[in-house]
Amino acid sequence: MEQKIQELRTRADEAIKNSATLKELDEVRVKFLGKKGELTSLLRGMNQLSAEERPRVGKIVNEARAQLENLIAEKNSSLKSAQLEKKLATEKIDVTLSGRKIYAGHLHPLTLTLNRVKEIFVSMGYSVEEGPEVETDYYNFEALNLPKDHPARDMQDSFYITEEILLRTQTSPVQARTMERHKNNEPIRMIAPGRVYRRDDYDASHSPMFTQVEGLVIDKGISFADLKGTLEDFSKKIFGEKTKIRLRPSFFPFTEPSAEVDVSCVMCHGAGCKVCQGTGWLEILGAGMVHPDVLKMSGYDPAEVSGFAFGMGIERIAMLTYGLDDMRLLYDNDVRFLQQF
Amino acid sequence: MQVSTKWLKDYIDIDLSADELAEKFTLAGIPVENVIHAGEGLEKVVTGRIEELKAHPDSDHLLICQMDVGEENLVQIITGAPNVKEGQIVPVALVGANLPCGKKISKGKMRGVVSNGMLCSADELNIEGDSSGIYILPEDTPVGVPAAEVLGLDDDILVFELTANRGDCFSVIGLVRELAVLTEKNPRFPKIKVVEDDERDAKDLVKIGIDAPDLCGRFSSRVLTNVKLAPSPDWMQKRLEGAGMRAINNVVDVTNFVMLEMGQPLHAYDFDKVTWHQLTARRAVEGEPLHTLDDTNRLAKGGELVIADAEKAAGLAGIMGGFESEITEATSTVILEAASFNSASIRRTSRAVGIHSEASGRFERGTNINGTVAALDRVAQLLQDMNACKVCRGVVDVYPNPKPEVKIKFTPMQINARLGTNYSDEEILKVLEALGFKIEPIGVVDELTDEVVDKFASATKNIGKIARDLGKKSNVEGFMKNFGDLFKNSGSKDADDVLKASGVENFMKNVSETFGGLAKSVEMKISSAYEATVPDWRNDVTLPDDLSEEIARIFGFDKIPSTLPKGNQQGRQSSKQNFIDKIKNVLSSLGMCEELSFAFTSEQMFDKMRVPADSELRKAVPIMNPLTDEAPLLRTTLLASIFENAARNFSRKNEDLRLFDVAPVFLPKNLPVTELPLEKYQVVGLLTGRREPKGWSQNPAAVDFYDAKGIVEEFLSALSIGNYFVESGEHFALHPGKTAFFKKGRDILVTVGEVHPEVAESLGIKKKIYIFEADVEILQKFAAKKFNLENLPKYPSISRDLAILVDHDTPAADIEKIIVKNGGKFLKGVNLFDVYTGERIPSDKKSLAFTLEFRSNERTLTDEEADYAFKNIFSAVEKDFGAILRS
Repeated sequence: MEQKIQELRTRADEAIKNSATLKELDEVRVKFLGKKGELTSLLRGMNQLSAEERPRVGKIVNEARAQLENLIAEKNSSLKSAQLEKKLATEKIDVTLSGRKIYAGHLHPLTLTLNRVKEIFVSMGYSVEEGPEVETDYYNFEALNLPKDHPARDMQDSFYITEEILLRTQTSPVQARTMERHKNNEPIRMIAPGRVYRRDDYDASHSPMFTQVEGLVIDKGISFADLKGTLEDFSKKIFGEKTKIRLRPSFFPFTEPSAEVDVSCVMCHGAGCKVCQGTGWLEILGAGMVHPDVLKMSGYDPAEVSGFAFGMGIERIAMLTYGLDDMRLLYDNDVRFLQQF
Repeated sequence: MQVSTKWLKDYIDIDLSADELAEKFTLAGIPVENVIHAGEGLEKVVTGRIEELKAHPDSDHLLICQMDVGEENLVQIITGAPNVKEGQIVPVALVGANLPCGKKISKGKMRGVVSNGMLCSADELNIEGDSSGIYILPEDTPVGVPAAEVLGLDDDILVFELTANRGDCFSVIGLVRELAVLTEKNPRFPKIKVVEDDERDAKDLVKIGIDAPDLCGRFSSRVLTNVKLAPSPDWMQKRLEGAGMRAINNVVDVTNFVMLEMGQPLHAYDFDKVTWHQLTARRAVEGEPLHTLDDTNRLAKGGELVIADAEKAAGLAGIMGGFESEITEATSTVILEAASFNSASIRRTSRAVGIHSEASGRFERGTNINGTVAALDRVAQLLQDMNACKVCRGVVDVYPNPKPEVKIKFTPMQINARLGTNYSDEEILKVLEALGFKIEPIGVVDELTDEVVDKFASATKNIGKIARDLGKKSNVEGFMKNFGDLFKNSGSKDADDVLKASGVENFMKNVSETFGGLAKSVEMKISSAYEATVPDWRNDVTLPDDLSEEIARIFGFDKIPSTLPKGNQQGRQSSKQNFIDKIKNVLSSLGMCEELSFAFTSEQMFDKMRVPADSELRKAVPIMNPLTDEAPLLRTTLLASIFENAARNFSRKNEDLRLFDVAPVFLPKNLPVTELPLEKYQVVGLLTGRREPKGWSQNPAAVDFYDAKGIVEEFLSALSIGNYFVESGEHFALHPGKTAFFKKGRDILVTVGEVHPEVAESLGIKKKIYIFEADVEILQKFAAKKFNLENLPKYPSISRDLAILVDHDTPAADIEKIIVKNGGKFLKGVNLFDVYTGERIPSDKKSLAFTLEFRSNERTLTDEEADYAFKNIFSAVEKDFGAILRS
């Protein structure tokens, strides 16, 4: 009996060792340990043994069973991991291939720039106001101290609908409209972003339609120094902390004093480069203290309140921010361009 | 306006380079657009004499020149120019020269013979002159001196871009005046002296009249006799050239010179050609012939100002003189005009006739009406200096309404307040006086600041209140004591003592003194007031605000401090602006690219888009002066813009597009336009090309209607717009069988569809295009104001699939509607997961398969409950659509 068990062990060990697949291993398990397996049959033959031998042999059989089960489990696990490894090896892919493309959406660079400008001013307490793009001559010019035949007006520069109606040439008419909506001498802090139109040819630096942001602050005791501080603050926020500004005296009929405002070149930081034509400065804004006549025309009393106003082109700021050298990129809407933002 | 730095330096001693001057002027509000550095590139060009000329041994056109350039040895230079001769003096570029034409001169050999420089042509030096050969200098030119010097190119030019308000700087004297203030130097202007050496009185010879005093404020004239026409002297020609004007003859040159110098345009008439020697400023009659200096015949529109003799118009006032009365060789007597014309009128006429002259530019900006006679005298003086004329006695001067002096009352405090500065009275007055303002003190102004007023007001209010309270229950002493305490708190230490020691009268005296102390304690400012008389030449200064600009620009804008406005305000956007921002963010998050487009369109574009002839969209606002004939209208639909952009992208081979645009369209209230059109914001989207972007993992499928519709559904959901229904619709630009309206009641939320093949073809797009279009206002109307959270289910759901055969043309949405209607309260979801038409079913049928989801929010549903609901649903679709259950 013991011999038989010994011989069975030898064969079973061999069979487990030689199993190449999980299936073969399972066949081995059935052959030896199954209900009708060899070890089970051996166990069944125990009743022929004497009562003294039975416990001893029983123990040997049980031990053999336990050992075989262990061997099979071990083999099972090594076969499984071998199989997984093999599977993983066949699943290898070229990880250098580019990722699957998706259509990502994009906001237009002018929208992104305008959003940034709006954010800055809203955080400084400015409301965002708007007005019509087709305007009356009164709001576009006269309410801004630009009577007919003023040299700063030019039929060639404006798109006229009728003698008295035109496409607004600036967002300044929103100033007058906003002042009229307010009670007399009520403080105002506003910006007016929007499309404006001038009869310019469409080329690298001109466009018949472009985007402007006008700003207006009216309150008691507003000074030119407040204007300067505000623009300095804005310039640093939009172009970076190191940005400096320079104000040059200029002339606009709606402000007095008036200034053209330069920022230190965003490319060379003032050293002089191609973008700033070697001057170190870039003109980005027109500004000034609101002319008393403009205040009066919209029902404000220049003896009681004062204010400042400024206007800037968003295209210019976008071009500087993104390093564009041709304005047409912004309005040609080539998707290869739009997808970069 | 351009002027040479030498001319400026004739009138002021300054040691500044042209670039330094440019910066000084620019930062004072007189912008210099450009500095022309004369002689730039001519540093190594000298005058040289051709000592010897020999033919090149190996060339039939090259010559070997031995040049004397003022050095010890002659310099050998090869030239190919045909016009050189021995003994000529010519400009010689030496080795190392870097000429304005771009040529760099180095040592070299030409066909084996050494050449150490180049003889220059006019072109190569960037000067005017015959460029067919070498530039030949006059025989008496010294040898070996810088060519720039003998060519008069040693003078830098400042080119000004003057602002419209500074007419006074349209003159050398005006510019020097500014420079004198900026550099704190004294200018020396020419002393004007005329010797009236012709006995005759000018007023006996000519008659001057003004018939239109609103357009001509002053007409002054002198009569010059024995006029001898000749070239003007060299120095004057150089000054004129520096200013960009050509020398013509002494009379013309002197009038131009004085105009440049003093800013007053002048005109000279040939006395003998002026009928009846009579000049009148009057309005032209419509159709009146105008024969101007440029020998052009024009017909007057009527109303423009002309200077006329007894018969005819002899010139367009302030713009261009007349042809007949022009100065010629035969002229012996001259009527000289110096007048002042209305800026707006000159501007209108100049624009109408298309002539922009040096004179009209000055009149447009405004001249000094009190400077006419000085200008006449200056012309007479200069011509007399040249022995070119005699001067009749007197000036004939018509000046009906002399300009009153402009006086401005101001306080330095007012100026400082506007600028945010703290300049002293002395500093401010000094600048204004230097600029020519006459200043008179006119006393003091007590400027009550808001702060002071507020303190006084609240103190007074308190006093009144306490007085009333105390008056009811106190005797005089107690009343006064409490009053004293009040003032003690207000800053007076001894109010109590004063009260004890004195009676009511004294106390009241003390009260007023205390108020004075209170005022001082908040630094009530008492400011001196002045009256400034504006100098004649400054037409732009009329208000105290204008004075503040003078102070700011002379001290420099860089000296102004930087502060921020006081007080706080809340910044915000309107709900419409926020909604538009949201639309843009949602669409970009759905993979769409934002475009921005011009607002213009055209009839042709409407044709391409198949807009019906009677459509309201054809009634677009026309532009009077469009940029091109291709864009004469304002768009009435954003589709026009997005189609154009799609077409442009297609022409550039960008064929996978997902674009959107949010912008206004313009709908006229009436045509022709008499009031502002309606501006309505629209949103449009466009899809075409591959469903997945091009990559190695090719999915060749192209987008279809349902891709576009899917985006619209997500878009509406993100805007919190629900409970809409979709039905098939009609749109001129869309495929009749592939157009859907998303609707809510009668309102169309969104139109979506495939672009009509004819439209696509007219745009040059060979692929299928899908668009959607919506009105922002309508979207906003239906966007839920509150967010509606749908709770996650707590109990499991039961699914049943419903696969049915229905007629081919039955809209799926209709079936869905019936399913929902008959599904009972447990039906929570209907999802169409398969649509089949084909061989396995009859050709007039289609198969639809829905997954129906049943769930209760209170408990776990039983199969029986789901089956019951399912049966009801099927019965309904069977009844309504004749649906057959597929197994």
